[in-house]
Amino acid sequence: MNTETLQHLQGAAAGQVHAKDTVISVSGLSPKALHFSRVFELLVVAAIIMLFAGAIHLHVLLLAGDWDMFLDWKDRQYWPLLTPVVMIMFPAALQAIFWTYFRLPIGATVGATCLMLAVSISRPASFMWWTDYPLNLVLPAQMIAGAIVLDVILLVFRNALFTAIFGGFAFAFLFYPSNYAIFAPFYVPVSHQGMMASMADMIGYVYPRSATPEYIRIIERGTLRTFGDSASWVSALFGGFICIFMHYAWWYLGIAMSSMKFLPNNAKVMALMGTKSDAKAGA
Amino acid sequence: MSTLTSRDINLTQSRDTTSSFTLSYVWFAVAMIVLTGVYMSYRVYQQMYGMTAGLDSTEPIFQDIWMSLFWIQLPVLFGLVALTQVYLFFTRDRNIEAITPEVELKRYFYFTMWLVVYTFTFYWIGSFFAEGDGNWHQTVLRDTPITPSHVVLFYACIPMYLMFGIGGFVYAMTRIPAFCKGISLMHVFAVVGPFLILPNLGYNEWGHAYWLTEEIFSHPLHWGFVVLGWNGLALAGVLMQIISRLRDLLPIVFKPENA
Repeated sequence: MNTETLQHLQGAAAGQVHAKDTVISVSGLSPKALHFSRVFELLVVAAIIMLFAGAIHLHVLLLAGDWDMFLDWKDRQYWPLLTPVVMIMFPAALQAIFWTYFRLPIGATVGATCLMLAVSISRPASFMWWTDYPLNLVLPAQMIAGAIVLDVILLVFRNALFTAIFGGFAFAFLFYPSNYAIFAPFYVPVSHQGMMASMADMIGYVYPRSATPEYIRIIERGTLRTFGDSASWVSALFGGFICIFMHYAWWYLGIAMSSMKFLPNNAKVMALMGTKSDAKAGA
Repeated sequence: MSTLTSRDINLTQSRDTTSSFTLSYVWFAVAMIVLTGVYMSYRVYQQMYGMTAGLDSTEPIFQDIWMSLFWIQLPVLFGLVALTQVYLFFTRDRNIEAITPEVELKRYFYFTMWLVVYTFTFYWIGSFFAEGDGNWHQTVLRDTPITPSHVVLFYACIPMYLMFGIGGFVYAMTRIPAFCKGISLMHVFAVVGPFLILPNLGYNEWGHAYWLTEEIFSHPLHWGFVVLGWNGLALAGVLMQIISRLRDLLPIVFKPENA
């Protein structure tokens, strides 16, 4: 490193030069190159937000969507178990990509935010405005709190295995408490025609979905009731256990899916597409 | 991870020698505006005619409102998909290896714009209209595979993302040397995976027709869509391939005068 470089970096460290200027200088790019570099970054950010808003939402929708869509599906047995297990998959892959290539510990939070963005648009647009459900009935769960913890754990440990063990577990275990403030009012018991039901049940009774089972009445039965108030924590614990493995598997899926591999093309196809020299060589 | 050496670092303020490099955003903006208009129009159409004409497929009004739209859009949209690919192929670069770094850089930017538009179409099918589909079918009993939500979700949104997914693939293959000489494995996944959602409709509709399950959206019948949707993750690999080449091209195209 030359003297000028060292002086510049020392100046930045001492606060004499703005950190952004240092990064731009170190890149060695001219102002115009930097401008187009920024244009490219904006395009990539737009692509990432729209791609993962669509992909993560589709994934969650079709694997745990019913629990996320309806208030009266947010039970104590499967909701705290299935939802975080499904929700951790894409954030784990994004963590792997952002961390491995850019050393950015933001992947999980980016994924969680994209999902929340997508859900926040589609819940009113579909459930409220098309089929006239109240927003209370279709409130989505959030995983941003767990995702931030997951990213912080990656930042601290800087290791996929430890992030899976501690972060994956924390992600699932925090899911229930971090959503409790939103959904607690709907667990209040009410008397309905001489029987006990929850407020969530009551809203569900008033707005029946003709093609959907009345889930919470089916699930809240037998041993689940006798297990008392720890049922949801047992589910969260089990969810944490599965999330450890799920995070680790999807971390490596993220690495695999960001591979920069090119397979050799057929010479005739290349010639057809516009390559001249290789076409001759292959002919 | 490689580390920066003094050779990689140029701290002195530099000036461009290539001031003529520009990008045109016209087609990108047109595509985004037109697509937004089309998607919003579809949603308004659903709002206007979903409840009034979409509840019973045996009624004449269903044929007028929904089946008419279905039969009009099918050839129009799939025709546009085919025309886009034909246009891209016939306007291809016939001597792809002779392009200058400036032209190559420009094409990488336009290729990235293709991908952005592709992700935009993916958002509408993967999130917006997909949840609308769940909402509709959990509320209204289905008596046909061509329901008001399916007319838009499957038979409009799918051809629209095929247009830009396959279009981006053909664009890269006919205009960018690296994507012509080699086949980007991740680009294949990112295009073919979502494309296979179309034939997977056969499984979906077959199951709905014969199994008479209650409308649970996370039913295994829908998991084919999930696995194929995972392939969207492969776009990260394509973006990494682009970034990797831009890292080489930017310093070549924008040569510092005093380097």
